[in-house]
This record gives sequence, C-alpha cells and structure tokens, in this order.
Amino acid sequence: MLEINGIDCYYGKLHVLRNLSFKIGDEAVGLFGPNGAGKTTLINAIISLIKPAAGDIIFDGENITTSETHTIAKKGIALVPQERELFPEMTVYENLELGAAFIPHVKNRTAERLEFVYNFFPVLKEREKQHAGTMSGGQQRMLAIGRALMADPKLLILDEPSLGLQPSIVSELFEKLAEMKKHISVLVTEQNVRESLKSVDRGYVLENGEIALEDTAENLKSNPHVIKAYLGI
Amino acid sequence: MIKYWKYILIAIILLLGVLFPFYAGAYQQSIARTVLIYLVLAISWDMLLRSGQLSFGMAGLFGIGSYASVLLLLRLGASPMLSILGAGLVAFVVAALLGILVLRLRAMYFAITTLAIGEIFRIIIRNWSSFTGGPEGAILPNIIFDGDPVLSYWLVLGLALLAIVLSVIFQKTRIYFALTAIRNNEVVAKSSGINIFKYLVIVFAITSALQGMAGGVFAQTYGFVTPESSFSADYILLPIAMALLGGIYGTLGPIIGTVLLGVLAEYLKLYIPYGHLIVYGIIIICIIMFMPQGIVGVVRSKIIRREVG
Repeated sequence: MLEINGIDCYYGKLHVLRNLSFKIGDEAVGLFGPNGAGKTTLINAIISLIKPAAGDIIFDGENITTSETHTIAKKGIALVPQERELFPEMTVYENLELGAAFIPHVKNRTAERLEFVYNFFPVLKEREKQHAGTMSGGQQRMLAIGRALMADPKLLILDEPSLGLQPSIVSELFEKLAEMKKHISVLVTEQNVRESLKSVDRGYVLENGEIALEDTAENLKSNPHVIKAYLGI
Repeated sequence: MIKYWKYILIAIILLLGVLFPFYAGAYQQSIARTVLIYLVLAISWDMLLRSGQLSFGMAGLFGIGSYASVLLLLRLGASPMLSILGAGLVAFVVAALLGILVLRLRAMYFAITTLAIGEIFRIIIRNWSSFTGGPEGAILPNIIFDGDPVLSYWLVLGLALLAIVLSVIFQKTRIYFALTAIRNNEVVAKSSGINIFKYLVIVFAITSALQGMAGGVFAQTYGFVTPESSFSADYILLPIAMALLGGIYGTLGPIIGTVLLGVLAEYLKLYIPYGHLIVYGIIIICIIMFMPQGIVGVVRSKIIRREVG
C-alpha cells in the first residue's frame, strides 16, 4: 500500500531522516522512538508537508513524492496530526462534514460516512452541535480521528494519539484502533509503546533518523532493547 | 417558527430598501448610496478575512475599478452599465494575477502587498496624463441614467445585494468549510484535501471584483475620478471599522456595522466637520478592547447564554 524507499530529509543542514525505507500493507503499523527521532518528520514527508531530498514514496503503485498535500489527501491518506488537529470554531458536525467535503469519492456519501463514524465514537453524535473547541481533550482526539475517517481513507496516519490524554482514555483509544485496522491500514507513531503494541501488527523503532529495529508486535514486546528503552521494566 | 419570522423580516427590510427613494428625500438617498457602497467594501473585505487573509487592497481595487469604468467609457465608448462590469473584470484580473504571485506567502506579506496595489496604480494614473487625465482626474460627459436618483440608488442597491448574496453563498456552501479551515489550521485544511492556494486566489479575485464594481458604480453615479479621491484611504479604514463594529466572519455583522457607522458619520459631519474621523478611531479602539466579537458576536453569545442558563 505505502512504500518508502530510501528517503533523506533535512531541516536546513540538519540531517533528520537517513536513507529510511519501510512498508505498510493491509495492517496496523507502529512507529516508535524517542523525541527527536524523526517520527513526525517521516509523517510530514509522507503527506508532502516537507519534501525529501532523495528517495521515493509510493502509494498504491503511484509515486507521490512530489505531489501536493491536498492531492495526496484525495488519493486516500488521512492524517490526524499531533496537536491542534481540529477546527475549534466549527461544531462537531461541521468538523465531520468537512472531513468528507473535499474528497471526491466520499463527497456524496456524507450520511453513510457519518453513520460509520458515529458507530465508532457514539459520543460524537451526542455532541453534534457543540463547538469543537469546547470539548475535553479525549473527545477532541476522537473527533479528529472521526474527521479523518470521514474521508474513507485507505491509510490512516495518527501522530501520537495518546499525547496529553489520561490513561483510561488512552486504552480506550487503542481498543478503537485495533477495531479500525479491520477496515483500513493504520500507521501510528507513539511514545506510549506499551499500549500501542496491543493494537498494532508490526512495529518499527526509529532512532536518530534510522530504523533501528523492525519486527512483529509480539516479538517487539519481548525484545530486550525495547523492554529496556521503551517499556521501562 | 423562528426561521419563518426570519424570512418575513428579511422580506420587509428588502422591501423598505427597494422602496426607499419613494419615502426618503434626496439627501437621505445620497447618504444611502454612500452607505451601500461602503457595505460592498465591508462585506467583501470580511469575505476574504474569513480565510484569515487580511487585505488592505480595498482602496486600490476601488480606484482601479473607478478608473477602469471611466476610461472604458471615455476611450472605448462602452455604455455605463458595461463599463461597470468591465471595472469588475479588470479588478478580478489584477487581483488574480497578484494573488497568484503573493498568496503562497500569505498573512503579513499578503497584507502589505495589497496595500501597495493602490499606490502603484495611483502613481501610474497620476503620471500618465494623456490617457488617464493625470492629477486633475477625468470627468464623464454624462452621469449614469442621466442623473436619475432613483435608478442610481437601485443600481447601488443591486450591487450591495449581489455582495450580500455572494457572502451568504460563501457561508452556506463548502467554500465556508474551506475558508474557516484555512483560517483555523492550514495543515489540517491541506490534509483534508483542500487546495488552499486555489481557494485563496479565487476568493481574493471575486471579492476584488466586487470592490472594483463598487468603484465603477461610484464613478458612474458621481461622474468623475481623481487619483486622490478614487484611491482614498477612507476606502480602507472605514470598511474595516464598520465590519469590526458589526462583527467579522459573517454577513450580518458588516451590514449592521456599515449602516450604524455610515449613518452616524453623516450625522456627525453636520456637527463636527472631520470630527467623524476621530469618532471612527475611538470606536475601533473601544471595539478591539471591549468587544472584539462585534455587535453580532455579543448578541449571539447573550442568546446562547440565555438558552443554556
């Protein structure tokens, strides 16, 4: 589905991603690593917010390395960014409607997509008319994910969905993610490795802009390096 | 039920607006024409502001429209009505070209560039005497509709209604989503599939066409243009003050603000000549300090509070 072949990314002279390659199929993939490892940079490169200096990004057999962000969104990659992910001045319903309004293949299926999203996050239906900015952090995160799902994407990218949420909501969120991967491919970056390993199939560990480790979720749980550096046992 | 009353109210106001020349005197009609011209500028300024882009180009585009309309008539022999449409088209093209050049930068860079459009065209017009009439300006041989005040009033009213209808369309269709999304968060807007650049250029060009047509209508109803009066800074400051007073990011706010401030200004002019400008300044400061939401925003939050509590 998504294939990244040897990309290099820079911020000015700072070399952030070094000859990085990875693949996502019909599965949920986790991307782990400490702050500054390049997780968000990698996501930004995928959706073309920054352009890689070298390498290719292939989505569904099509080279999207130099495509513009909005056309990539139309091709089926939806993003839930790290923070400020909503339109606070719009209502919950408007936020969701917007998620589908500019994506050609769902533009006329808003009702059907709404039902799908409300099924996933019933709380959003209850708060349909509320302004997005007035909801709690957890609800806002759900709305951001709901808005991304409105586009009926092939690949959903979540950048640190657990950030700033209380632990009970984090586990609820990852339960939803585990359910979501039955429908679509998911790429999730996380610092909360313990929780996210429960819902992904495979994981990459990113350190200093390079893939340090790649394995199935089961194997990562028992990998000594992961246990020492990320699970803190 | 509330919706039902809303439509009746709109119909009554519309009727009062259309029949205005039959129950108001010549002086009131001339004030109404000025207020409606400012209404077009205030609404079109707000329409672009909804995308987070601050424009100071109203005076420039108004002046470009004024001159385009007068020169189309004088040099090419276009009819007055056609010259007003031509003024809109010229402003549209100028704004589209400028937008393509600078709207990738946005925000501050865009605001400053729009301020420059007026200056550039004003200087060209001042110095190209053989074509534009130079510093003295140009006078039309005849005023539109042979100076018939009722028809002139309806022409201005028609343009104001066009601006209102466009503004409502901008609020009711997915353009609303695009503009609000761009204002709130560009990254999420892009990753929701919104072509930010395309929307900004189109909206800038459309609102500029309205401002250009306002200039065209003004020039045709007053019969003259000069570099100083057609590019006056009044056309930047007053619409902004009016929209801020009424409340930005909506159609109703600029309408209320323009009517209140426009009528107030005329009244003040009689008692303290030029003092109305001081009043404008004080109003802008007070609004920014005490009610940045404007009148519409304050009333709306009162209503919401009453419904909740």
